[in-house]
Amino acid sequence: MSVVLPLLFLLSAASGTLVVLVREPRRQVFALSANGLVLALLFTGLQAPDVALSEIAVGTVAVPLIVLVALGAVRTDRPGQDAGSGENV
Amino acid sequence: MSLLPYATAAWLLGIGLYGIVTSRNYIHLIGCLAVCQSATYVLLLGIGYRRDAIAPIFYDHPPGTPAVDPVMQALVLTDIVVGATLTALLLVLALQVFKRRGTLDPQKLKPMHPPSNAGTRDAGPREAGFAGEARPEPQP
Repeated sequence: MSVVLPLLFLLSAASGTLVVLVREPRRQVFALSANGLVLALLFTGLQAPDVALSEIAVGTVAVPLIVLVALGAVRTDRPGQDAGSGENV
Repeated sequence: MSLLPYATAAWLLGIGLYGIVTSRNYIHLIGCLAVCQSATYVLLLGIGYRRDAIAPIFYDHPPGTPAVDPVMQALVLTDIVVGATLTALLLVLALQVFKRRGTLDPQKLKPMHPPSNAGTRDAGPREAGFAGEARPEPQP
């Protein structure tokens, strides 16, 4: 247990860094979901199972889904344009 | 162990702020804001953690067994729900910015270009950097 918990802390820091460094929003959704999963594991290790359950439901599923919905709404607005590029005339 | 939660929270807050400052897309920026919020989760749970303690569920433990702080867990639970709500609200605002201005790049929202007339009636210089969010506008 004394090895697992610092490892989970470092893993959550690494996954948060990955969320920031993935610049393309459609790939960032996956990094966000993985970050939620790692945080849920960390919360289980910190003896907070209720927070881990709500983090799985909200941070792993709900928030990436609404980000996906927003990305779809942005892309269907202008079919030729990509939301990630930001280029517009 | 006693310093690692605070270091992790500080790192997550710092990298999230770095992502917010250097972001070129509002949706990416909202994801970076979620990273900043996860720093607060780690900080609160790190404050309430006790070594060799059980989860605060006393179903099969006698009362008085050392447990982690349940108040911090309730705060983190509230924080998660507020964070999801904030993410949804900011995504809707980003969509409104995209519909009015046609871009999600914060750099392109500066009043550099003349106001486009594609359905936008605002575009005065006083609100060109802010894209007229949260301003009710009568639909024609």
